[in-house]
Amino acid sequence: MRKFKCSICGFIFEEAAGLPEKGISPGTKWEDISAGFVCPWCGASKTAFVEVSENVAATVPAIQQEGPVEQVGEFTVGELSALFSNLAKGCEKQHLPEEMGLFLQISDYYRSTMHAASIAKPAPENTYAAESQAAMKDDGPPAASLHDYGFHAVSELLREDLSDGFAKANRASAAERDRGALRALVWSEKVSRMAGSHLDRYAREGDAILENTKVYVCDICGFVYLGNDLPEVCPVCKVPNYKMTQIGRR
Amino acid sequence: MPAVRNIRLCTKDCMCLYVCPSGATDTENSVIDVEKCIKGCRACVDACPSGAISLLPDAYPPQQPKKETVTDALRLLARSKAAQEKMTADIMESGPSSVTRQFAEAMSKSNRLMAEDLLRESGYMLPQSEEVRGLLESLTKSPPEGFPTDAAEKLLILLGKTT
Repeated sequence: MRKFKCSICGFIFEEAAGLPEKGISPGTKWEDISAGFVCPWCGASKTAFVEVSENVAATVPAIQQEGPVEQVGEFTVGELSALFSNLAKGCEKQHLPEEMGLFLQISDYYRSTMHAASIAKPAPENTYAAESQAAMKDDGPPAASLHDYGFHAVSELLREDLSDGFAKANRASAAERDRGALRALVWSEKVSRMAGSHLDRYAREGDAILENTKVYVCDICGFVYLGNDLPEVCPVCKVPNYKMTQIGRR
Repeated sequence: MPAVRNIRLCTKDCMCLYVCPSGATDTENSVIDVEKCIKGCRACVDACPSGAISLLPDAYPPQQPKKETVTDALRLLARSKAAQEKMTADIMESGPSSVTRQFAEAMSKSNRLMAEDLLRESGYMLPQSEEVRGLLESLTKSPPEGFPTDAAEKLLILLGKTT
């Protein structure tokens, strides 16, 4: 009997034990479980599960050939807005309300600069269509254009993060034994992988994925949870669920 | 080292009211009165059965030193997350249905949180740090159009005091 672990939150499914509360009787083989199976803790899809191997060496990912990290250069407007809102949170933790307000004021300045840029340049709808067609031509995700509205371009960036950005950052942080950096990477890589699976589902099914479903975002790590029964703690960062904020419809 | 109360942990056993020698813990808004607090006496911290009160440090050590190879890689990821935040924020404004906009809002917020965390770990954790001071100083020296210079200057003064 084998075991499978959710790569997002760490939930372990054991074939021997099954999941009787989800109608999966003990002894059910993994391949006999429906493709629509989702992780009971975090809602990740069946494809997010990996077999737990007794052989630890087998789980170490192969090191790929790669070039040096590209030049970062100046902060972008978006980075500055996040950098300053993060400092506002630091002040909140230190119980410095006045400083928090001032950092937020600077963060909001950059946020509105960012927003003004998108008003000046209205969403180029033709570009999205062209991108979707291009994606379909080179065997990109099927039907990515079905419910696009600009999400396809987001998926493209996210895919780059997952295939390249995280690997490089993890390697650099591991080489320096920077456990703080590794911690942030573990969280954001899980959150990103889950976001990627939400985006893929949205591209296929559109608004239907949120029918009769609530939407929550963890205030601490950014994990997006689609579902009605919040887990006790965030599946990624383990903060108690009162720090997971529901996003309403407007 | 003033005492502060985390209201979400407070179970209203109110031992702090009984032990505080200066009446600082008994306030109408649940926030311990900094002026009255003896700062460092810890009577309320030790008496609280739910661990809801702690002492705030007077100073903070610098963040652990960061290597450029690490901060560059984290910054690039943060940049990507910030770009995704903006793209989803645009959909949040212009999406065709309330559900699309809701989904976009969740994605946008999620990306902001990841960008914040990645930047925190790339050397910008502590508001009182040299890095933050340097950034604020350079921005006040040559501010971009419309930049709230007053706020940055005030922060430089306030943060200088709390280091």
